[in-house]
Amino acid sequence: MIRTPKNVRTVLHVASLCALLLAAAATWHPALAASAEQPETVCIQCHSSMEGKLGAPVGLWRKSIHAENGISCNSCHGGDPKNAADAMNRSRGFLGAPKETAIPAFCGRCHPGVMKDYLSSAHGRALGLGGPTCVTCHGNHQVLKASLDLINEKSCTRCHSFERARTIRDAMQQTEGYIIGIDRRISGFRAIGVDTDRLGKSLFAVRNRFHTLFHDVNVERVKAESTQINAELGKLDRDLKVIEDARAKRKVAGGIAVFCMLLVAVLVHLLKKTYD
Amino acid sequence: MSPFKQMYDWIDVRIGAREIVKKELTGYLLPRNINEWYSLGSVLLVIFALQVLTGMLLLVYYVPDAEKAFRSITYIMNELPYGWLIRLCHAVGSNMMVAVLFMHMLSTLMMGSYKGPRELNWLTGFTLFAVVQGTSLTGYLLPWSQLSFWATTVATNSASAIPVAGPYLVEFLRGGKLVGPPTLGRFFAMHVAVIPLVIAALIGAHLFVLKRTGISSPPFGGVETKNPWPSQSYRYQSHPGGIPFFPNFALQDLTSICIYLAIFLAVVFFVPNLLFTPEAFVPANPFKTPAHIKPEWYFLANYQTLKVFPSELLGLSVQAAAMTFVALLPFIDRSPERHPLKRPLFLACAIAGILLWVGLTIWGHFS
Repeated sequence: MIRTPKNVRTVLHVASLCALLLAAAATWHPALAASAEQPETVCIQCHSSMEGKLGAPVGLWRKSIHAENGISCNSCHGGDPKNAADAMNRSRGFLGAPKETAIPAFCGRCHPGVMKDYLSSAHGRALGLGGPTCVTCHGNHQVLKASLDLINEKSCTRCHSFERARTIRDAMQQTEGYIIGIDRRISGFRAIGVDTDRLGKSLFAVRNRFHTLFHDVNVERVKAESTQINAELGKLDRDLKVIEDARAKRKVAGGIAVFCMLLVAVLVHLLKKTYD
Repeated sequence: MSPFKQMYDWIDVRIGAREIVKKELTGYLLPRNINEWYSLGSVLLVIFALQVLTGMLLLVYYVPDAEKAFRSITYIMNELPYGWLIRLCHAVGSNMMVAVLFMHMLSTLMMGSYKGPRELNWLTGFTLFAVVQGTSLTGYLLPWSQLSFWATTVATNSASAIPVAGPYLVEFLRGGKLVGPPTLGRFFAMHVAVIPLVIAALIGAHLFVLKRTGISSPPFGGVETKNPWPSQSYRYQSHPGGIPFFPNFALQDLTSICIYLAIFLAVVFFVPNLLFTPEAFVPANPFKTPAHIKPEWYFLANYQTLKVFPSELLGLSVQAAAMTFVALLPFIDRSPERHPLKRPLFLACAIAGILLWVGLTIWGHFS
């Protein structure tokens, strides 16, 4: 039968409609329509619309390790993050910005161990005498994750020569790399359902111990501590190796199982052919 | 005389086993041009049996309590000997079941096997498809992970778009205003007791109507492609001169089952996390919403459809209408022709529909 253009158009229209219906009809499921996100605090809402000094912290904070871990403005500065009227109310715990000498105590509410290390270091002893505070190296709103990258020539030479800092950094470099590698492996396993709770806690403790060295300026102590920390990391490394080996064995077993199934399929198919 | 034959004779004398074997296996004739697609039903029976078996094994250690569910799954996956294998077989199997069901329905559509007198086969099969998705949805919550918790929150919330009854329906589904321990309790009961029984009953009904109508001939292989049913009276479609179910087609069934198992095991052993996102391994936290929640792959087209339409009610209505359209297809498509190439309108709709579904799925995945 030869179709007229009108018929063809009608067919196409019906086809399109049916296609839409058919595709949507594959299931009738109360589909997951939206991706929900955490509501922003009133601090972010107001300050993000401000310009200059009052608006800048929002952009900086978004790139910080605090934002990454859900630590918002009120976590440090206090106040009511849900109510604009009480957001900066001192009776609701609002602290505002600390004075320079109060910065270590300000940050130390959540990082007491680091504060102790800092205060006992040459940096801490120079607090209020022109020495650096937490924010000098870590930043104030764009708070950077504690890592060896923070010990760099550009940052350190603002106050003194880089020579000694470089020696300390080099001593810790290998351990830092080791920690990062193990952390990556643990995260990889966690993302695929391996119970890494114990390993994660062990690494957390080792990493904290390692981070106490970040504020130490005693080269010999740093080297000795790094050796001990490396030994503990070696133990974690072996535990991870056990998991990796077990998973590799599973793959071998899986390969054999798949091969057997395909072999049986071929044999049964050939047997079937004899009956055709 | 071998012990096996002695036993067979003993049983035969009592229940007439040879007669049953002759009628249902060696004497049960199938069309000579039957093809591999007809074995997907047997594959689905094997998948269902495996799901029941692995589900029962999981029940030994799984604890349906909001405080303990995630921990029990972690224990099964990490500490219980071969627990990971049982759980992965169950999780991967549920996805494979939907995939094979898709293929089974698609082959039925293409070969026009839904046409009279097989409307009831289609309806029972279609209902099975919907119920299998119901069991996937209820099973999805049971690990009590971030993924399952929030996916269920959004999924149950979609029902609120239904006018008047919506909010009550959401509360009924959840057992409260929000997803919580009561939701886990009722989803667990549905998943392990109610829905499997419904599926078993529907499989029974599907096989019953299959036995009563007889198996259809494929419209391929140079034979008559039109539906032979006279439509005025009941007639069992027999296939004189056909091939016996046993051993001929039973071996085809076995081949297909082995190929399926090879693919299934390849996923279980080599890419088990194809179906899991990292949120699936984080315990449920009602106070922390993950940034993006995506449904399982077979719901992605529906997910995207809802996003395309300006209101959720409209999106749900279109899906409901489309669902009804497909369910009632045997009553809408009354033409006796079964060969897809002789049904250009149907073929165009089917191909466009498949492409649209694939497109929406990909779009939903990347959106």
